[in-house]
Amino acid sequence: MDVTHPQRELVDLPLPRVGPLQRLAPEPARYVLNWGRRYSLWVFNFGLACCAIEFIATSMARHDFIRLGVIPFAPGPRQADLMVVSGTVTDKMAPAVQRLYEQMPDPKYVISFGSCANSGGPYWDSYCVTKGVDQIIPVDVYVPGCPPRPEALLQGIVKLQNKIAGESLAERYSSPEVERRSLVSRLTRPLLGPPPAST
Amino acid sequence: MTWLDEIASSYDGVPDPGFGPPTVDVAAEGWVEAIAGARDGLGCAFFDFLTAVDELDQGFSVVVHVARHRVGTTESVLLRTRVARDNPTLDTVRHLYAGASWHERETHEMFGIDFIGHDAPATLLLPDGFVGNPLRKDFVLASRVAKPWPGAKEPGESEAGAAPSRRRTRPPGVPDPDEWGPRAGESGAAEA
Repeated sequence: MDVTHPQRELVDLPLPRVGPLQRLAPEPARYVLNWGRRYSLWVFNFGLACCAIEFIATSMARHDFIRLGVIPFAPGPRQADLMVVSGTVTDKMAPAVQRLYEQMPDPKYVISFGSCANSGGPYWDSYCVTKGVDQIIPVDVYVPGCPPRPEALLQGIVKLQNKIAGESLAERYSSPEVERRSLVSRLTRPLLGPPPAST
Repeated sequence: MTWLDEIASSYDGVPDPGFGPPTVDVAAEGWVEAIAGARDGLGCAFFDFLTAVDELDQGFSVVVHVARHRVGTTESVLLRTRVARDNPTLDTVRHLYAGASWHERETHEMFGIDFIGHDAPATLLLPDGFVGNPLRKDFVLASRVAKPWPGAKEPGESEAGAAPSRRRTRPPGVPDPDEWGPRAGESGAAEA
């Protein structure tokens, strides 16, 4: 079978950033923007282990975090505002977590859900478990538990919404801590290239 | 003819009924023939898993579990062989069971056992650039040496806020930070 792949080129898309108008918005406009932002959090569930089940339970009818304005099952990270890392992050998975985080448009928020995502949890001695997802991406809210109950995630979401309500994007994105965190571990694996030419 | 009788007639020696599936020990030289016999002679068409066990001085046990399914019953056999620790090599069986390919890659990276004839020994589960064979018993789990675990290790430790009365336990493979690593010998009775 002779299949020739068209030569595809990698396009270096710039990361979506918060515009200058957002950064320079005066206090009343900022209040309205934050109010809108905190109640329309499209959430991207990075489910890696059993904590993801609790996340799914939180999104379903009994706990129903849509009543808080959190909209689950975003089509992908590019349509999401909030990433919930629920489960054990391994060193093998860490580049994927970071890559999908970088694809999210600003302003973006991260909830670390469960002991493993917070600090590695019971796998501290493991050869392959990352000691907390905050080693690779900045985290806004930590939810402790193994796994946490859905109520704990609801509480974490409320905490995050309160944080969004009082924040200034200019401060958030001028902090040297954010810059340092985003530089701390760049992807070491190259992007997937075009398939090799068939022989 | 019972399943045990069938196994006994196919291999030399009496299979060990054990606690699980019957286990047959085979020589490393006859590894491929033994598995081919299980597939073609006993009719074990289902490949379950292939893995290894670190037996310290006695080398590594490599085990493969294959099963035969008939209507109403499933019977299985565990084939086991032993390879030397200083030169752990074994012939590949991926031509018999295609599914064994990933299992051999995993066993290769976790135990350092070379499967002769396996042409894709790239790492499967470990991250790029990982050094060592983490499922070997002499692999050192060094996290705790670099930084103590932030959690409470013993029951009641978090409430007390002080050193626990019982001796602290460490999981297997985790060295004492006082004896191994950059801080060895700095604090005398930290782990007493």
